[in-house]
Amino acid sequence: MTSNVAMTTTTGRPAVTAAAAVLALGVLAGCGVTVPTDPDGTLDRVRGGELRVGVSPHEPWTVPVPDGTPTGLEVDLVEGFAQSLDADVVWTTGGEEELVGDLERGALDLVVGGFTASSPWTSKAAVTVSYVTVTDPDGKPEGHVMLTPMGENAFLVELERYLLDQEVQAP
Amino acid sequence: MTQGAVEQSFRFGNTELPPDARDAARKAKRLAWLTIAFLVTAVTLVYLVMGSSQAMKAAWAEDLLSFIPPIAFLVALRVTGRVPSEKHPYGYHRSVGIGHLVAATALLTMGAFLVFDSVSGLLAGEHPPVGLIVVLGHEIWSGWLMVIVLAYTCVPAVLLGRAKMPLAEQLHDRVLHADADMNKADWMTGVGGIVGVLGIGVGLWWADSAAALFISASILHDGVKNLRSAVAALMDARATTVDGSEPHPLGGAIDETLRGLEWVGSAASRVRDQGHVFHVEAFVVARDGMPTQEQLQQAWDAVTDLDWKVEDLVVVPVDELPEELLPGLRRHP
Repeated sequence: MTSNVAMTTTTGRPAVTAAAAVLALGVLAGCGVTVPTDPDGTLDRVRGGELRVGVSPHEPWTVPVPDGTPTGLEVDLVEGFAQSLDADVVWTTGGEEELVGDLERGALDLVVGGFTASSPWTSKAAVTVSYVTVTDPDGKPEGHVMLTPMGENAFLVELERYLLDQEVQAP
Repeated sequence: MTQGAVEQSFRFGNTELPPDARDAARKAKRLAWLTIAFLVTAVTLVYLVMGSSQAMKAAWAEDLLSFIPPIAFLVALRVTGRVPSEKHPYGYHRSVGIGHLVAATALLTMGAFLVFDSVSGLLAGEHPPVGLIVVLGHEIWSGWLMVIVLAYTCVPAVLLGRAKMPLAEQLHDRVLHADADMNKADWMTGVGGIVGVLGIGVGLWWADSAAALFISASILHDGVKNLRSAVAALMDARATTVDGSEPHPLGGAIDETLRGLEWVGSAASRVRDQGHVFHVEAFVVARDGMPTQEQLQQAWDAVTDLDWKVEDLVVVPVDELPEELLPGLRRHP
């Protein structure tokens, strides 16, 4: 309702409209809404619950272990992130396409597998900021990222803050 | 901008501009360059913070399209300055119309594309991801940066638009008018974008596509409006005021001036807008027989003294006003 206030005043003067937008935001903030918020509440669900993570093999970032918890640099990062949210990780191993499909359907919260910022999955998943930059075989710098569900921005920002805080060194 | 440009004299073909119009042209030229400089900063900043927001993409496209009118204005100003030649006896005034048509077509196409894009985003339920960005070592939600950048793009555009509007009227330049009109409305794009980004922030995924739809609809509206008036002028419609809203008062003034001459029985003219200046064919019926050469010259001088826009004038003495050339006579005999 509060966003309607800002929309309908766009016929007025810019200053008035800007004031209305700020007011609307203030009202929302007063109601205890944090910015950004998840449309589907992923962060709230994961906190104190379970973090459903898809993992696609890509050494040394992710190393699948038959009948066991995978290992690797990104697996350690995810475990640490889950711990910061007091959540348990549930691992699903699979191919990239299958895992990204699960992410889109809302069956997974996070997919790791040594993805880079130039990943072709950016139209189907939200990519985090690059948490570490390595040099690819062609000698070009390449940022490594993880994939989260589209538009779950509170969850995305929480994960990004965690990843940046770790100050990961290139393997 | 450069020294040479300031000293350059302004003319529209054979028409040497009077000093106040010359100042207006000079000022308009400076404002066009200023607009281009502002747009370069706006386009760069919006591109840097755009991310996956549809609304930001639409705002960016609008900024990019906003380059066309000032560039078209500057090109047209240069081209119309040429003196008519044997090959181009009517001069180069139509370049304004061409510039206007090109700008309108670009707006229309881009507007239609963006409306389609945002509607399909809305229907597909696309949830735009907006994450962190690291600026000078600080982690900040990119939504805040988008809001700041959009707020920045609002202010100079409105000021430029307001400054250009009276110049467009004075110079009778439709491209400059379209440019000023778009600039003046640009704050709506900014505010629409801000509402969309804040909507994402509070978890309303559809706010972004809805804001994008609002912005693209305004681009489309600009396109349709400008295409109409550009085509009308190129089709030799009756000369109108620069915003195309009503018949130009000079049309009536020319007829009245001619009718006011004591030897003239009746007079009517047809006036078309060539871009900046008018082309006038005036038909006069003398009270008794054929007017003398002096009387015709007097009529010519009286009309061309009205305004600098009226120099391309033909005065035709006739027995009877030709209805087939002056369709207005049928309605106002």
